[in-house]
Amino acid sequence: MQWNSIRTKVLAALLACLMLGVGGILALMHYSFESNSQALAAESVTGAQKLFTILETREISKMTAVSDTLITNPQVRDAFAAKDRSRLLDLTAPLYPQLKSEGITNWMFHTPEPDMVVFLRLHNSTKFGDPLNRFFDQEVVRTHAMVTGNELAKAGFAVRIIRPFYDAQGGVTGYVEMGEELGQFIHTMKSQTGNDYGLLLNKKFMDRQFWADSSKVWKRRDNWDDNPSFVVADKTSASDSIFRFQQDLATVPEQGEVLERFQDGNSVFVRGIFPVRDAAGNTVGAMFVVRDISSFYLAMRRTQRVLVLLTIAALALGTIAVLTLLTRLIFRRLDHIVMVATRVVGGDYQSEIHVSSDDEVGQFEQLFEQFRRVFVDVLKHVPELQGK
Amino acid sequence: MSQLYEIKLRIEEKIKTAGLDANEIKGKIGLRAGKLLAFITADTPDDPATVVKLKQAAKDVLNIAL
Repeated sequence: MQWNSIRTKVLAALLACLMLGVGGILALMHYSFESNSQALAAESVTGAQKLFTILETREISKMTAVSDTLITNPQVRDAFAAKDRSRLLDLTAPLYPQLKSEGITNWMFHTPEPDMVVFLRLHNSTKFGDPLNRFFDQEVVRTHAMVTGNELAKAGFAVRIIRPFYDAQGGVTGYVEMGEELGQFIHTMKSQTGNDYGLLLNKKFMDRQFWADSSKVWKRRDNWDDNPSFVVADKTSASDSIFRFQQDLATVPEQGEVLERFQDGNSVFVRGIFPVRDAAGNTVGAMFVVRDISSFYLAMRRTQRVLVLLTIAALALGTIAVLTLLTRLIFRRLDHIVMVATRVVGGDYQSEIHVSSDDEVGQFEQLFEQFRRVFVDVLKHVPELQGK
Repeated sequence: MSQLYEIKLRIEEKIKTAGLDANEIKGKIGLRAGKLLAFITADTPDDPATVVKLKQAAKDVLNIAL
């Protein structure tokens, strides 16, 4: 192979095109995958946030409906107005297991202000008389209207409602409160979307000892020390690694945030997080969203492979076609011109250049043939060649 | 007989014994040497530069040392 031949140069140029083409496809596919995985992650965060809000609203509506029924029940109303704890317990206790099975795990009656203590806990009927003095209590006393929202208690995070309870004359006899653990939302969310979720709680709003005690009661591993600023209250995946998060939960923007993509074994995940606020507006926790995009990733890799192979095949065919055309249209005809010129110099004055086309090479063939004729004519008049 | 003519004869002899295309080989040597072999006769005066070129061309094309 002659390194300075046109054929070699064209081949090198086509190989460069091939490499550029393959490189371009790889870069394009990588960019496409990056932007698509980013879009999928953003969509997962937004979708999870909406779904969380929908579930929150649905559960608040459910608890509101249950409390509506309670408030209009004259027996419950009168027992609470009379502060007859045992009668109130008799009337409400049969309902509690059913409500609990529907997710309402917290149910309390509070005495009215100014003392406002727990009058009856359906989920722990032996414990009462303690003041809670939370944002919820202050708000319902201030407004005498139903207060709804999330509240991070010492050992857990729940969506709650609290509303005034009235006697037959319309006077406030106390308050009824219901709550559902937010942790159970994530299991519903997983069953609806297939994504994995983790509920993170800000340690700043929690009690260390209470978390340790409740972990023992619920036979849950005490994971307080796993992360510096938050605890994972609940998660839908057995893997802890997919919920890695180093920032402060308070820095998570309101609309959520897409985190980095990562690989765990053969699976590829995108992650995101959005803040969860309590009724007072504090960022007391965050919901972690993890979406498995392995199938998308594999499909992208398949497409990438196919495109690379197609590009190589197309450019290989293109190379063969270009070289064939160059050989037919240029190289072979140039070889013929060189051969005729050589033979004429060697004494064969009969060889002629056949003009095969009127293209650029054809014009050169014609010019060279004219030159050959002039050259041969000159030679005929050279004395040394007379008679040859 | 000039040296140039002697070289020419040896080239023609080699072409003949090897059964090569005389016009093609002479053309190649002539182009390389910058001299038409047909112009070289017994009376052609020797030009040292042309002699060297012709010998080199014969070596390149026919691989013979003259």
